[in-house]
Amino acid sequence: MTAQAQTLTAKDFKSDIKPVWCPGCGDFSVLSAVTKALAELQLRPEKVAVVSGIGCSSRIPAYTNVYGFHGVHGRALATATGLKLARPDMTVVVTGGDGDGFSIGGNHFLHACRRNVDMTYIVMDNEVYGMTKGQASPTTDPDWCNSKLTPEGPGVTKLRPLNLALAAGANFVGRGFSGDPNEVARLIAEGIQHPGFSFIQVLSPCVTFRSEQRGWKDIVRKDTLKPRHTMAEAMQVLAEDDGFNTGILFAGDRPPFQPGQKAVTELAAIERRFAS
Amino acid sequence: MNDVAVFLAHALALEEEAADRYSELADTMAVHHNDDVAALFRRMASFSRMHADAVRGRAANVELPHFKPWEYQWDGPEGAETGPGDRTHYLMTPYHCLQFALTNERRGRDFYDGVAKSTTDDEVRRLAEQMVAEESEHVLVLEQWLGQTPKPPADWDADPDPPVVND
Amino acid sequence: MATHSVSIAFAGSGGAGVMTAGQILLDAAAKAGYYGLMTRSSGPQIRGGEAAAMVRIGTKPIAAVDDKFDVLIAFDWGNVHRFAAEIPLLPDSLILTDPSQGEIHAALLAYRTRVADLQMAALAKAIPGGRVNMVGLGAIAALIGLPIDTVVEVVSDQLKKKGPEALQASAAAIRAGAEATAGIESPAQLAPALPSSVEHWNISGNEAAGLGAVRGGVRFCAAYPITPATEVLEWLAPNLADLGGVLVQAEDELASINMCLGASFGGVPSITATSGPGLALMIEAIGLGIASETPVVVVDVMRGGPSTGIPTKSEQSDLNIAIYGMHGDAPHLVLAPNAIDDCVFTTQWAVHLAEALQCPAIVLSDQGMGQSRAVVDRPADLAFIARRVTAEANTQGYRRYALTGTGVSPMAVPGTPGCMYTADGLEHNERGTPSSQAADHQKQMDKRADKLADYDYGNHWADIEGDGEVAVITWGSITGAVREALDRMAERGLKAKLISVRLLTPVQPEKMAAALAGVKKALVIEQTHSAQFYHFLRAFYRLPAEVEVFHRPGPLPVRPGEIESKLAAWM
Repeated sequence: MTAQAQTLTAKDFKSDIKPVWCPGCGDFSVLSAVTKALAELQLRPEKVAVVSGIGCSSRIPAYTNVYGFHGVHGRALATATGLKLARPDMTVVVTGGDGDGFSIGGNHFLHACRRNVDMTYIVMDNEVYGMTKGQASPTTDPDWCNSKLTPEGPGVTKLRPLNLALAAGANFVGRGFSGDPNEVARLIAEGIQHPGFSFIQVLSPCVTFRSEQRGWKDIVRKDTLKPRHTMAEAMQVLAEDDGFNTGILFAGDRPPFQPGQKAVTELAAIERRFAS
Repeated sequence: MNDVAVFLAHALALEEEAADRYSELADTMAVHHNDDVAALFRRMASFSRMHADAVRGRAANVELPHFKPWEYQWDGPEGAETGPGDRTHYLMTPYHCLQFALTNERRGRDFYDGVAKSTTDDEVRRLAEQMVAEESEHVLVLEQWLGQTPKPPADWDADPDPPVVND
Repeated sequence: MATHSVSIAFAGSGGAGVMTAGQILLDAAAKAGYYGLMTRSSGPQIRGGEAAAMVRIGTKPIAAVDDKFDVLIAFDWGNVHRFAAEIPLLPDSLILTDPSQGEIHAALLAYRTRVADLQMAALAKAIPGGRVNMVGLGAIAALIGLPIDTVVEVVSDQLKKKGPEALQASAAAIRAGAEATAGIESPAQLAPALPSSVEHWNISGNEAAGLGAVRGGVRFCAAYPITPATEVLEWLAPNLADLGGVLVQAEDELASINMCLGASFGGVPSITATSGPGLALMIEAIGLGIASETPVVVVDVMRGGPSTGIPTKSEQSDLNIAIYGMHGDAPHLVLAPNAIDDCVFTTQWAVHLAEALQCPAIVLSDQGMGQSRAVVDRPADLAFIARRVTAEANTQGYRRYALTGTGVSPMAVPGTPGCMYTADGLEHNERGTPSSQAADHQKQMDKRADKLADYDYGNHWADIEGDGEVAVITWGSITGAVREALDRMAERGLKAKLISVRLLTPVQPEKMAAALAGVKKALVIEQTHSAQFYHFLRAFYRLPAEVEVFHRPGPLPVRPGEIESKLAAWM
């Protein structure tokens, strides 16, 4: 071998820690897609960080061989924002679930979209809280009656994450399906490369609490979303969307938020201003 | 598919992706203490890796193009022999595992068969037909294996305990 | 008779320029070589409400507001009586009033103070562009013996941008006010300023906390505005940027603290500032900082609580939440500056300790220090700067939470090859992998506790002054009033020892025992309703047999005289 950099494969981005997810869980595919995308982009593992909150899908950082921060419930986007602003040289990926991202972390989601810091947020959406034994999440249908907490169904309109992301100002919006991990890898790679805040919803069935979601593979439509470049066009597409179209919905051109980090003065000069 | 290098790149990816999936499934079965099935998936993975080595041998003098994972021309979302993860269960039995593998091998055979029938390149056709023959053999072996494996009881997925609460 | 300290209150409605007058008086005093302290009080209105600027000027460093004011000057009387309790007057104090601007309220007349008329509105009107507050400022300067030229000089500096006309008008108004005091007997003439070799600084506690942070190496701040902490963040915004750092405005306090943790995880020392309600929201994430061993500093500029409480007034009642607020066993650092200039040191020290110990630190400042401005000796430069133990690239078998003996494990900065790890708020093993095993929990808990307990904090843990068999134990901003009270007692020949605790947690029982050696009785002094500090001391320290506590809540500042009376009765 010459001094040429060694080629990294998806395996180089996987850790030796084995997931606790149920066999059949869609999150395996997303983990695989993340590692494939990172390998495809030939990023150095030490220059990548995966940040998450709490929930099944938030376990991803430990399963990757990059830097990771498994924080508190709902705050992953905030943690990731701090990391990226302080360390713009890092590639920052945020992972989590629908409860973590849209319920307890809902406010951060809105503001991450509008702040447009250059990072990629992957939400594995299974319309349920898995780690607490299957309660309704913000994306659960109002008439889903299988939770002891809401035996009559949550009775609340389900949230539409793509609509929200678009309205709040995300610069890249896409949707994938865990049953098509290579396509998810494409969306992630595109999201990472697209400047600003990229949001990717991945329909990721929960085989334990939502076994009916195994049927998603017959409903999901591949690559029916094509990148629009204005919010109006993308909104129009969403008006007809039933939640099962996949692909890239929106790729905008807003410049990312990254306050400058160039020192222009020394502390002594600042201190002199206090002299009376 | 009318280019030998492209064809061989697919053949290699088909086996490698399948091997990776089998390894992943073996790991998750081990995590869930389903050791028989874990061992079986581990064997499937090693078969796939053997086949990958064989493809590599055939491609020794060919420079294979690099495809991004999403650029391969599979019929479905994943490699032709990659087993879909959602067809697994923590209580699945060796019988299910072999069924799963058999389905994958048949898909692999069908993929090559499709290439053989549609290609305009003689060398690609020759290679694809070879692969069809090999995959048919795998299918046969698995069918026999399955025939000797006890069928699972009707309540194979019954679990008297509820799911565990985690974080 | 010349005095070493005078206190003046400017009062009036919004638009009258009360705060500007107070600020200029403080600046002019500083320029003339005096020390000073300015506090402020306002009505609930955003604009136009009643306001008071309270300035104390002296020949020696000023630790606290005084017991009474020498002069209250009111530009008008709209609701000024609401400040009656905050502006205590004596019969020999002086109220300067403009009869054209209304009557003095009974609440103020109750002080039976001498009153003198000053036609401020008429004087201002006679000067084109003249303003009432400049007339009042001139009158005050003349009455206390501050050189009028110095006042004009300061105003000239500040009005440079407004052009020569504004400048002339202000100078004329100041001189007119000064001349109009002829015939009014001065309640207190300042003794000449003492020569000083030390540079004087004009700084607020909130600015001082910001400065301490950047001196300590902080280069990231996530900010969510809250009274009375906002000025820490506003000071950091331009200065962090100039130093090559980053400040980002967060969507809420949940975000700001987690952003800080993210930046700190990235290797950049981080800070945020908030007040009680914000601290309550940050508590969960501070726990994450403790569990994941991610350094961060949170400055809590305390205000009256609970809930929204009294946002604009000081209290020391966040002690309990700062010490005990975290769920689980969560050892962390709690520090408290005890003076405006000490906000520099204590915040800097907090950054240093947080980084060295890989642990969150809460700095308990309060509104009384944060929003007051003082003229002080330049705070000394100290060698405390952020130093984190980091991991070498490609460390074989790197374990983020390795048991090292000191409890501090090398922390890999993202970007370091071969040391990739996941920081986790879940209990974990040495490598960082989540674990609920008893042995891992025990070891990691021990590690997190021991690293704080075994560290040598030197003698910064408390300020210990004086001697005697009697001790006063206190903390935070109230220390200033205690110091002044003890000085007065010493003049009476009554000696007592002062122990002002700067490091609240981890507790320092051995050092406290040494400080209390020979002490027979102790008085605990604090500004809370429920005696939080007293109960804290009882829980963790061996105190003398005879212990009493003097405690009361805000919003009124605790004045030296109050403490003096308590001490006189008790000693």
